[in-house]
Amino acid sequence: MSSGCPPQSPAVAKTEVSLEGESPMLAATFAYWDNILGPRVRHIWAPRSEEPLLLSDGEITFLANHTLNGEILRSAECGAVDVKFFVLAEKGVIIVSLIFDGELKGDKNTCALSLILPQTELPFYLPLHTVCVERLKHIIRKGRIWMKKGYSIVSVLTSEIVPIMELLASMKAHSVPEDIHIKDTVLNDDDIGDSCHEDFLHKAISSHLQTCGCSMVVGSNPDKVNKIVRTLCLFLTPAERKCSRLCRAESSFRYDTGLFVQGLLKDSTGSFVLPFRQVLYSPYPTTHIDVDVNTVKQMPPCHEHTYNQRRYMRSELSALWKAASEDDIGPETVIHADETFTPDLNVFQDVMHKDTLVKSFLDEVFLLKPGLGLRSTFLAQFLLLLHRRALTLLKYIEDETQKGKKPFRSLRSLKADLDLPVEGDLSIVMAMAEKLKAGLHSFVFGKSFYTSVQERDVLMSF
Amino acid sequence: MIGSPDLVAFTKDDDFGETDVDPCLLPDEFSVPLFTHAGNSNPWSKTSYAKFARDFILISEFSEQVGPQPLLTIPDESKVCGTFDLNYFSLRIMSVDYQASFVGHPPGCNYPKLNFVEDSKVVLGDSKEGAFAYVHHLTLYDLEARGFVRPFCMAYISADESKIMQQFQQLSTEFSKASEWLKTGNRKAFASELVKKLKDLEYTRTVLHKETELQKKNSGCYSTQVIDKANELANVEKSIYEHKDLLRQITSYPSRKRIDCEFPQESDDPATSAEMDKKATPTECSPEVSPEAITGKRRPSYTPQLIKGKSAKCFDKRLKTLEELCDSYFFHQTMEQLRLIESAFRGDLCHIYTNQISQALLKKQKITNFLYEVYNDWEDEAVSKPSFAGNLPPPTPLLLGAPQSPEAVHADLDAETSVEKPQEAELTESSPSDLTQENSDEGTDAEMKVSSGSSGESVDAAGPERPERHSEAEAVPQAFCPDVVEGNAAGTVDDGEDNDERVSATDSPSPEHNRASYQSAIHEQEPSVKVDGDMGGDEPKSPGLTQDLDLTGDSVLQASTMVQADASCCMGQEKLQYEEPSPELAENGFPDRVVKREPQSCLQGDLTLGKAVTAEDSPAVPNALNSDGLSDDMFRMNLDDLSDATSFMSASTNSDRLSSPCHYSNPVTLKQKKRAGQNALRFIRQYPFSQQAIFCVLTGRTLVVLGADERTVRKLVNALSIFVPNLGKYGETVQPWLSCPFQLTDLQNWKIIGLHRMASPTGSSMLHSLNRYARYIGVLDADQKTLRCPPYRGSLIGNMANHRTQIKRGSTYFMHVQCMLTQLYSKAFLYTFCHHLHLPISLSEDQETVASRRSSFLHQQLGYNEEDSKMIQFLSELIKQSYLQGPGRMVHPPGFCFSYIPSFVHKI
Repeated sequence: MSSGCPPQSPAVAKTEVSLEGESPMLAATFAYWDNILGPRVRHIWAPRSEEPLLLSDGEITFLANHTLNGEILRSAECGAVDVKFFVLAEKGVIIVSLIFDGELKGDKNTCALSLILPQTELPFYLPLHTVCVERLKHIIRKGRIWMKKGYSIVSVLTSEIVPIMELLASMKAHSVPEDIHIKDTVLNDDDIGDSCHEDFLHKAISSHLQTCGCSMVVGSNPDKVNKIVRTLCLFLTPAERKCSRLCRAESSFRYDTGLFVQGLLKDSTGSFVLPFRQVLYSPYPTTHIDVDVNTVKQMPPCHEHTYNQRRYMRSELSALWKAASEDDIGPETVIHADETFTPDLNVFQDVMHKDTLVKSFLDEVFLLKPGLGLRSTFLAQFLLLLHRRALTLLKYIEDETQKGKKPFRSLRSLKADLDLPVEGDLSIVMAMAEKLKAGLHSFVFGKSFYTSVQERDVLMSF
Repeated sequence: MIGSPDLVAFTKDDDFGETDVDPCLLPDEFSVPLFTHAGNSNPWSKTSYAKFARDFILISEFSEQVGPQPLLTIPDESKVCGTFDLNYFSLRIMSVDYQASFVGHPPGCNYPKLNFVEDSKVVLGDSKEGAFAYVHHLTLYDLEARGFVRPFCMAYISADESKIMQQFQQLSTEFSKASEWLKTGNRKAFASELVKKLKDLEYTRTVLHKETELQKKNSGCYSTQVIDKANELANVEKSIYEHKDLLRQITSYPSRKRIDCEFPQESDDPATSAEMDKKATPTECSPEVSPEAITGKRRPSYTPQLIKGKSAKCFDKRLKTLEELCDSYFFHQTMEQLRLIESAFRGDLCHIYTNQISQALLKKQKITNFLYEVYNDWEDEAVSKPSFAGNLPPPTPLLLGAPQSPEAVHADLDAETSVEKPQEAELTESSPSDLTQENSDEGTDAEMKVSSGSSGESVDAAGPERPERHSEAEAVPQAFCPDVVEGNAAGTVDDGEDNDERVSATDSPSPEHNRASYQSAIHEQEPSVKVDGDMGGDEPKSPGLTQDLDLTGDSVLQASTMVQADASCCMGQEKLQYEEPSPELAENGFPDRVVKREPQSCLQGDLTLGKAVTAEDSPAVPNALNSDGLSDDMFRMNLDDLSDATSFMSASTNSDRLSSPCHYSNPVTLKQKKRAGQNALRFIRQYPFSQQAIFCVLTGRTLVVLGADERTVRKLVNALSIFVPNLGKYGETVQPWLSCPFQLTDLQNWKIIGLHRMASPTGSSMLHSLNRYARYIGVLDADQKTLRCPPYRGSLIGNMANHRTQIKRGSTYFMHVQCMLTQLYSKAFLYTFCHHLHLPISLSEDQETVASRRSSFLHQQLGYNEEDSKMIQFLSELIKQSYLQGPGRMVHPPGFCFSYIPSFVHKI
């Protein structure tokens, strides 16, 4: 479909999306600022529903137009994607808009891709905001290239909007609750090793914390998978829990980029196919936990992960740029390689660093009698300690580098001063600090992947 | 002739000296940077390219005359906004067509309708400027404005985009409250304006009517002038009708809106609403009803004016300012709320976020919070507190001391007591900076605490006297009265060091805060005022007390209640313990009573008690200040017990004790602790025996810091105070400076004492006494730089007090210590509640086996040596006490313990 022939009719094109279960989203819209007509909606995506929707197409168009109001003043840098968020109590809706510039019919226009949800879904949506925005931002990057080439952006956008609608629908039914009772987790066992092997549990939690609380739990038994999912979620904040998903007993969900913990069910052949691209696009490295065979694997630390991710993104965008025609490369195509970058498909590695923090916690928590709230208190103390340590580490680096003005060169001192001599402990605290201050790993361990590997070697020698 | 150099200027840049760009290469604008922090950027730099120094709040208006314009910023300092273009940003945030709701004449209706639109919230940014904003849009009513509406917005502007989104719900809640204040005040002002306008119209009608009648008589019924007047009269009639309708609309503000909005509600109270309606209704019938009927305020009587036929043109009239649009009390409450918001969200997101997470976690571990955590909301749930009024919002953890509901105040105003109300309310508010760490209830009564006597002695001594004359609820508030009264009577302000410290602890120079400081200053000098009068009265006690001085440690033990030490922690040791208050009697917690105190009721307190109170000053005073669980009777009983058991180490006058500045008036804040971190860092770097000193503190051994220079001693005490377990809400277990002889019980109640070394017989007597009690206490000599206490050979303290540490800032060091202490009390918690550790597993097991199991747990399971185990055992003992006593009650320090381990003198 070419964008050279915009619809002649004022009617807005609409795609209805079939979803399983209740959809919290009312619609998604793509609008642009027409130099003659002003704001104009180009496309609407709406969940297919037999019941009448809260908003009519006219109202959706009205709201979508709203998102572009005031953008005539936009002075953003070329290529920037700005996010706007509306809570319109009068209309009872929330709107998330991503504003960007794109070429339509040879002219540069300001465009808006928007998600519309009922206002009642605000608490549900807010924890997922970053996930949705980051995913949409990347699809917009691809869409802009498509527009530049004169193709329709709609098909590109559809490739991400539909999965986001599915994600929100799945989260509505299967997200992890904000408050997890310890009795639903492995930590309620009488003794360590009752539910799962002691070392496996230690490895799983340790790696989970080392990868910023981002894990996927794979298995054949949904109950077993969900018990581990809940256990791992105990170590997350309430907002992060709301951004985690239990596995579905009937059939597995797809892997979704950006969730903190997700349970995934193996198919009848006992396997689960992981999409390389989506895993790499996760904001944090991920721990892969297989509860059937008790294995724990993890992706490289944050700075390496970010570096790999960026390189892959650039390759993907370059491939799109070079594509000769719309059919040459579809939006779903996975970029496996180009001239400059060959991604390491074996992204999951063994857990390299042993820690003492989680080890001693697990050794000790089972000494407390279950069912009396003692373990919850002990867990709260453990988490408080981790959060405080992360903030202290951050402050230490901030002081040392004068808020990043000087390079950080005293890792050895940091480990001695903050009592973090064990690699695993440092990884855990660094990972928590990374969540507080994005880019900390890259700053501390150097900017390039290669330097970071050297740094890591040096780090290991301490 | 044109040469080639002349043509160069006409060539394109791209064609000159540029290499061909590969068309297959992805342009930067379509790509992503390879490194998240390229160039000089770093994790902290995302906020550095903004043109403003720090986050601020901007109020803008979409003026019908000049378009979007900034009105004011909070804080109102030009340097905060820097070179940031407020006009441009106002234009951007106000150009969002955010509501598109109808205002004006609806179809089919020939008179205007007010549309009560709900607020809209928008997050937007300007990535080029590095400014992101939470924008709260609201509409105010103005009789002179087009469609009677004035669109405004309040924006929280930050350079950190993630901060806005991550804190969205909190921002939304708090700005909704501010908006509700503003809108409530505006409705009042609008109604008042309508009433005035109606009066004017009525007056105009009367005048026109008279003129018409006059002209009818003069020139007949059908003259042009008469017809004009009649038309004018008809217009006025219509206008009266319209304004009456507007008044009806504004006074019957739909309750749905009030219920729906996030602001905690008010006047769902039917009485208030009914009152409002009643007052409004007569106005509709009779415009002569005074505006006071609507507003509940008595104002100067209004003189009606003649209204001209044609109003001023749109651009001729002066639009009202924001302050004029709103009732002044409500306007100031709005500003106060906005200042609180600015203060609460100030700073780096990582600190705000971690603090929020920590507070949530602290609520789950209440049992250990008393050890090292700063008093905060986690304690609120432990001790239930009645609210000020039934319709008051629940305490908001985020903004402490926020103004109460506008509607509740509205009701107050209606009750015609409103003239004084604002002043009172202001008096009871705390400055924003004071309140960022404490909960709202605490915030509300913070002022009271400031206004209380700063001397713990005088405050507590008053406690036992009160119940005889006053009810429970009144008792404690009145305990502070003598200070208040005498302080005012003295009429002087003490600019002493303590006061200065308190002032500098806050960043906000708000008038309220200044007032608080002033009051505090007044009360601080209070003890010295009383001292003069009390000196004589207390002197006769001295001989008896001197006799007690000769008591040895053994006799002290005899005098005290001897109990068998708990085997879990003090095996084979004897303890000096006071009787525990019975739980039945200890139900009414002290904090409950502090909250509800009003300055006026304090003044009613019996002033004659002042001296008696001082006379009854007891050694347990600092402790008693926070003896949360004690009823007054029980408290007095306890004091009696204590005085019975008290042995004075030397001749002591209460006046001397009072003259030493205490600092129990304000709760200890995290900010203060962080500042103490700087002293602690200096201490561990300068004193190689710092670990031994900290060991003393962590095992409950009282540490006396002795020195001639007050400043040095205070600094040392301050440094060590961050290690003191169960420091107390007000830091009452630490006495930073004592220039008078102290009592034996002080050694038990105060865990660190800064003691003035005096070159007098009293001073040498004190030194002699300190030597005598050396087996119970540690003595840090600040002058000779020595420490006498048992040795420490463990490893735990080494992690938190390493003199070679590279930590640069005191606050960072405090955070590190906080981590280590969190780890420590977590282990103590484990030790306390570890399954099968403290009880015999079988009947055949005796106490020795159990003790050996405990010891083995500490040594083998946790890997601690003897000294480290001692710290765990001490903390465990405190946790046990706290657990048995229940939440919200003061944990008393365990009694003195013999220690057969010899003390050593450590030197630099």
